[in-house]
Amino acid sequence: MNNNMINPFIKQLKEQINSVIRGKESAVKMAIVALLGRGNLLIEDVPGVGKTTLASALARATDCSFQRIQFTSDLMPSDIIGVSIFNHDTREFEFKPGPVFCNIVLADEINRTNPKTQSALLEAMNEKRVTVEKKTFRLPEPFMVIATQNPMEYHGTFPLPESQLDRFMLHIKLGYPEAEYEKMAVLGGPSFLILDKTDPVVSRQDILRMQAEADGVMVDDSLVDYMMEIVSRTRKDDRIRLGVSTRGAQFLLYAVRALAYYEGRQFAVPDDVKELSPLVLGHRIILKTAKFTADAERIVREIVEEVPVPV
Amino acid sequence: MPKISRYLTALLGVTGCIGLLVTGEINPVMAAGGLAIIPGYYRVLRGREAAPAWVIGAASLLTLGVFAFDSIVSGDVFLAVAHLTITFQAIKSYDLKEPWDHLQVYFMSLLQMVIGSEMSQSVVFGVVFVLFLVSLVAAMVFAHFVKEGRGAHIRLARPIVVISLLSVTVTSAFFVVLPRSSYTFLGKSHTKGIRTTGFSDRVDFGSFGEIKRDSTVVMRVELDPDIPAPYYWRGMSLDYFDGTEWRNSSPRQSRIEKSGDEYVLNPHGRSGLVEQKIYLEPIDSDAIFGLTEIMGIRVDSFSARSDSGGAVFLSRKSSRRVNYSVLSEVRDDYPGVASPRYLQLPRGMERIRELARTVTSLGRSDGEKARMIERYLKRNYSYSLEPSPPVRGRGLIEDFLFYGRKGFCEHFATSMVLMLRAVGIPARIVNGYCGGEKNQYGGYLIVRQSDAHSWVEALIGGQWRRFDPTPAVAAPQIPSLALFLDSLKMAWARYVVGFKTDDQKAILRALSSLLASPSFPAVGWKRLRMYGLLITLIGIALASALLLLRGVKAGRHGFASRKYLAMRKLIGVRGRRAGATTPGEVMRMSQGSSVEEEIREFLGMYVEDRFGKRPMMPSERKRYGLLLKSIRTGLKKRRG
Repeated sequence: MNNNMINPFIKQLKEQINSVIRGKESAVKMAIVALLGRGNLLIEDVPGVGKTTLASALARATDCSFQRIQFTSDLMPSDIIGVSIFNHDTREFEFKPGPVFCNIVLADEINRTNPKTQSALLEAMNEKRVTVEKKTFRLPEPFMVIATQNPMEYHGTFPLPESQLDRFMLHIKLGYPEAEYEKMAVLGGPSFLILDKTDPVVSRQDILRMQAEADGVMVDDSLVDYMMEIVSRTRKDDRIRLGVSTRGAQFLLYAVRALAYYEGRQFAVPDDVKELSPLVLGHRIILKTAKFTADAERIVREIVEEVPVPV
Repeated sequence: MPKISRYLTALLGVTGCIGLLVTGEINPVMAAGGLAIIPGYYRVLRGREAAPAWVIGAASLLTLGVFAFDSIVSGDVFLAVAHLTITFQAIKSYDLKEPWDHLQVYFMSLLQMVIGSEMSQSVVFGVVFVLFLVSLVAAMVFAHFVKEGRGAHIRLARPIVVISLLSVTVTSAFFVVLPRSSYTFLGKSHTKGIRTTGFSDRVDFGSFGEIKRDSTVVMRVELDPDIPAPYYWRGMSLDYFDGTEWRNSSPRQSRIEKSGDEYVLNPHGRSGLVEQKIYLEPIDSDAIFGLTEIMGIRVDSFSARSDSGGAVFLSRKSSRRVNYSVLSEVRDDYPGVASPRYLQLPRGMERIRELARTVTSLGRSDGEKARMIERYLKRNYSYSLEPSPPVRGRGLIEDFLFYGRKGFCEHFATSMVLMLRAVGIPARIVNGYCGGEKNQYGGYLIVRQSDAHSWVEALIGGQWRRFDPTPAVAAPQIPSLALFLDSLKMAWARYVVGFKTDDQKAILRALSSLLASPSFPAVGWKRLRMYGLLITLIGIALASALLLLRGVKAGRHGFASRKYLAMRKLIGVRGRRAGATTPGEVMRMSQGSSVEEEIREFLGMYVEDRFGKRPMMPSERKRYGLLLKSIRTGLKKRRG
């Protein structure tokens, strides 16, 4: 069934990233889907499984500027978006852009900083622009935030509120690599060395063009109904306290388009919806009992298994 | 439970209770208690919590106590159960928690319908029954959908309409196919009979006036061939008068032999007989009525008996509606044998004897004398339903003849019998119904309680001859709307309740003769028309249900989708989860099978055509068929 022509750019991009971070095909796929769908990615996992490597590999391979911000409890909003400094020569305030002004931003351990700083970043990634002292600065395009969260550490963290989580298109986990890949990674030396050797395979222009093309992917009306049914069931489910928002449904549509484009199709199929629903919707619902997002994802998966697929 | 399910449960619970209420048999107090169901379901629909368990428990205990009391006191367990179901429904409406509770309501309503059908045969009950069927189907379809985990709101209407139509169709088909005796489901009755004091084995004068004012329909009659009035529906004759009431001096009854499906009273030929199809409402007598002289009776009954007075009884103390055919040779006189009991007179009849002699002094024959007495009574006395009460010490008839001079048919007929006997002519009184109004809407006769009548039979020249000394009274006019409604009731009794084996035969005969020859008016046209209508209606219902079903199918799925569904079924993806299976999952399921390549191509084509909206070439349509075929053969090879 997947006899469609895979876009050569995507094929190269995929291969390039996979050569850096091995055995994480599905995570790589989702990262590319998020990029194509103009979405942001939230990676939740324990440290040291390659979150940063994935983000930098994506940036490297796409010839995008890349900045990593380590979120700490004393991080200030200005540390992210930049600050205005008085220039003695021109006798004017001059805006010094912060690390957010680049194509791919890695917000490492986003739940370690205070909500004020969190929201500064999240507003930036939602509106793709930054306003400082009545001046608006557009962020570069493409723009993508990859945030990571450490699920194990609760001490001294500020868990992202639902309204903030809602702004991430996809929520994925990396997990430990399989034994053979892990051995390869252990023996392969530090990843930054490999990263340095990674050349860009697509340009920023290519990315922008592919994003526009992904917008043109056809989504049959019955598929939209299918998505809406899944979304509405998350709102009716007994186990769920808060269902998926309209923005969630919107992101699902964008992600479905991007995935179809990634697979080389000009149209979306039910499998796209089924595959993406847990990843797009899981972090947007609040359960009545359990607290872990893994449970939420499982429940979305169960809901999807009940919804009739359009034929 | 979702909202719609609560609505359906409320509808079913209330329908069940209404079904019982329309039978008119429910004790008013119990019915009033059952009204608690209305606030009960109001609460349910507003989403209130169930009542506390101790309240329900106490109410249930109380109900059981009332039930025990009810069944012992009334002696009618059947009715007590009916009362119990009503109370139970009311209690249940405060105690709906789990799906099981809803099922209990459905079951209880079904029970109520069964009980109701035992107690009523009215059209209204039929309507309630259909409503019940439709809501039950709806509730079941809905429950199924909930179980299947489908979207609850939108796609329900069509399956419900389709299934209801189908079930109504199938039910009608069953009406045609299943033979029924007069006493089966929907035809059985628990109703208390219409009071007919005139037809127990004794007659007293007190309550007759009441009966004459009662316009309740007693029977409906179809005549074949149609003969003109007057119609004297003979019930039973009485021979012994003790001065105040009539009774039968020899109540012995003998069995009537059955030959074929007919109880034969008199051996007879086929020709010249008038067939009367009689739909007798439940009355508290087991006598049956027919025009004289009754030659034979066709009825579903274990036995039939007759007495010396020529009355026919069925073996049922009937509180049931009964349908039967009477075959009669219609005439005013028929052979009889004289007996001293037809000359019996009570004591103190001297004055009447004298009057009789005076009135008949000019008569030369018995016939002439009888005619003179009849004429005398008709001309000199007036008809009244409220005769002045007899003066103490005077006989009832003496008072009528010499003082009051006003009375109703019992007075006239009794006077005539006594006068006939006084002049030595054997005579007896006959009770039955006289007349019947023609209903032009259905072409049948309606006989009412107010048509109850008494007349006289005198044995003259070895023949019983009928005399009616009562002066004629103007019959009240019945509004035509009432007649039209009555014709509907008749149709219900005729075609639904009274549908029997011979009706099926008639349909089959009509159909076969229709096929055999182009000219078939040998079969009763009127009947055929009704059946034709019935069959046509069933046909239309069936056809529309099918069309609707097809429309649903074809409308929802395009060509590629239909092929995909067929393929999915072929490779064994079915059952509960099939609905939520994507093409990609189908692909993964088929991995490693011998037809993997074909399935891959098929699915590729399908998703492209279906979701890519690619215009389809005829060759591609063919390709679907070819792939399906090779998948099928490939699978067979593997199995074989």
